[in-house]
Amino acid sequence: MTTNATECLLQLCDEQFQLEDYQSGVPRWCSGCGDNAILAAVQRLCRDEALRPEKTVFVSGIGCSSRFPHYMKTYGFHGIHGRALPVAEGVKMARPDLTVFVNTGDGDCCSIGAAHWIHAIRYNMNLTVFLHDNQIYGLTKKQASPTSPIGTKSNTTPRGSYLEALNPVSVTLGVQNVSFVAQAVDWIPEVLFDIVKAAYHHRGLSFVRIVQRCPEWLPKSFDPWLHDPNRVQILAHANGLHPSAALSRTYKNQLEHDPSNIHRARELAGDSVNIPVGILYRNPEVPCYEDLIRPDLLRTPELTRSVLDSEMDKYTIWP
Amino acid sequence: MLEQIEGSVAVARAVALCRPEVICAYPISPQTHIVEGLGELVRSGALSPCEFINVESEFAAMSVAIGASAAGARSYTATASQGLLFMAEAVYNASGLGLPIVMTVANRAIGAPINIWNDHSDSMSQRDCGWLQLFAESNQEALDLHLQAFKLAEELSMPVMVCMDGFILTHAYERVSIPSQAEVDAFLPPYEPRQVLDPNEPVSIGAMVGPEAFMEVRYLAHKKQRMALERIPEIAAEFRARFGRDSGGLLHPYRMEDAETVVIALGSVLGTLKDTVDELRAAGVPIGVLGIASFRPFPLEALRAALSPAKRVVVLEKSFSVGLGGVVSTDVRLAVAGLALRGSTVVAGLGGRAITKDSLLCVLARALRDELPDLTFLDLDQGLVDRQLERERAVRRSGPIAENLLRDVGTVASKVH
Repeated sequence: MTTNATECLLQLCDEQFQLEDYQSGVPRWCSGCGDNAILAAVQRLCRDEALRPEKTVFVSGIGCSSRFPHYMKTYGFHGIHGRALPVAEGVKMARPDLTVFVNTGDGDCCSIGAAHWIHAIRYNMNLTVFLHDNQIYGLTKKQASPTSPIGTKSNTTPRGSYLEALNPVSVTLGVQNVSFVAQAVDWIPEVLFDIVKAAYHHRGLSFVRIVQRCPEWLPKSFDPWLHDPNRVQILAHANGLHPSAALSRTYKNQLEHDPSNIHRARELAGDSVNIPVGILYRNPEVPCYEDLIRPDLLRTPELTRSVLDSEMDKYTIWP
Repeated sequence: MLEQIEGSVAVARAVALCRPEVICAYPISPQTHIVEGLGELVRSGALSPCEFINVESEFAAMSVAIGASAAGARSYTATASQGLLFMAEAVYNASGLGLPIVMTVANRAIGAPINIWNDHSDSMSQRDCGWLQLFAESNQEALDLHLQAFKLAEELSMPVMVCMDGFILTHAYERVSIPSQAEVDAFLPPYEPRQVLDPNEPVSIGAMVGPEAFMEVRYLAHKKQRMALERIPEIAAEFRARFGRDSGGLLHPYRMEDAETVVIALGSVLGTLKDTVDELRAAGVPIGVLGIASFRPFPLEALRAALSPAKRVVVLEKSFSVGLGGVVSTDVRLAVAGLALRGSTVVAGLGGRAITKDSLLCVLARALRDELPDLTFLDLDQGLVDRQLERERAVRRSGPIAENLLRDVGTVASKVH
């Protein structure tokens, strides 16, 4: 394999990134759509972490959320419905040196792609997965999704949906090898950003369910939580979220929750009255898939470095 | 009763008139309005008793329809494009099991590149799966074909796809005549399942069949499709007798008298073609149109008989077998084998590209002069393709194709740099 020497030299430079370096095009989402909040948080993360655009990939499936890669000036892959996770796994296996994000919606992940979801958690590859959960199929204009609350009237459930909503956080916490689960809401940007950042820093599959508003098709769905900050329960911990004083003035319902406690995490995830926001579970000890297979088969940074070294050695002038 | 309604709504009303007992579907453009319409009819009680199941994918939709049909229920689903491809394994399963499911396919292109507009790639990809495929020319015919499809499916114990052009028909508001429930009931008897859940005779459906009988099971499906070649015109005649209009059948001939040149097509483009041919006829050109209403079973003999007096045939198709050319025209060629007939294929309208009368007049003029090559792509921008090929020759890392072409045509590409 060959490696571009300038790529190596570039890394030596002190890189400064601006938000503009990650912004691409004008999002076509509706105004007030939670996707915009997620995009803002993720672009801020990229800037703060100085993620090199050419080392970053956003993979999506189909749905409103899946337009995400088009709005990032990084690599992007807008795939087919439900297949964001396996595509991202393929990218990660071929190029483990890239930072891979997945943007998937409640239809894409919890419905048509649900089989991949379970297995992606089990593989625990180093991916950061954002579940944009607006509880409705938006792109096809209002049909019930698996996460739609019971009784949701939609174009395919005109009598109201019959089933209890699927809880993506509980499901994820129930799968073998789960290593990071967090929940955020689009209307608290500060916490959304902190969670996105923690997810990025976790090595393994970080699953972040982002409860997001759909002003077009379910405009009032989250009003009870929006109008009563006490129904949003902030999970704080030394190893988790550190809510600011300003935030704590509004969001007084706070709970100490140790993210290493999976049993407590599962209890909290099942809360049907409040929305728990924070890091529910984190276990850095769960091995990544990349570590379990033969690492020498992967194009790891170490391998890249060694090849680069041997390439540079060709130009060495021995005394 | 005549009503000015959307094609999807007309189909939903038609399906409801057929009294399905189980409907299962996953939304996908441009099929969505059909199942939404049915959802509304279930809610209002206009369609009862009927179970409407919101499934988690098209794969599940077809699988649920299979289960419901196997348990003796009249079952219906609808899909398009990627959805049809995703359910493909179950699509074959349904026909192999001989289950009379009816499915609407709101024809749409298949990605990549992502494209939601109309062509016939989706249902053509399932050409060999054993389902009957009927193509609607108008919204009235789409409505009528559903009534005929249930009848045909249940008589033969074979599944039927009703194909209608996505957006062009599904989203078009047209005046359609909606039959009454009594009229439909008289035309379509209640479903008498061939296999039922009978405690006195318990049976497992889905037996493994080895080399000793597999070919016979598959041949049986072929035999039934051949039988359908006889039943389709009979059902169309019965339909005409009851409802007073021509719908369905095997072929739709138009101004075929003394036609030396015949243009063959499927679906809604027949309307544009008829207008074009009217213009040519007015100028004294002996030309006609032959619509194929039943693509599977393919009416080889009827087509041969209709084309025998002609001198040349042009197959205009919205499908494309990459590496070969036309899909429909391959079948047409088989039908006219041995006839002294000059034939050409025109692939048109892929991914929703408009098929205009001007372009058709241009291509037909060449055909009339015997200057049309075997394979033509209507309004293809050859320069665009050449530029990409040149790019690929020049640099190895030429980048993603679709994005390059979009940049060349000046459309705002997915990424703005």
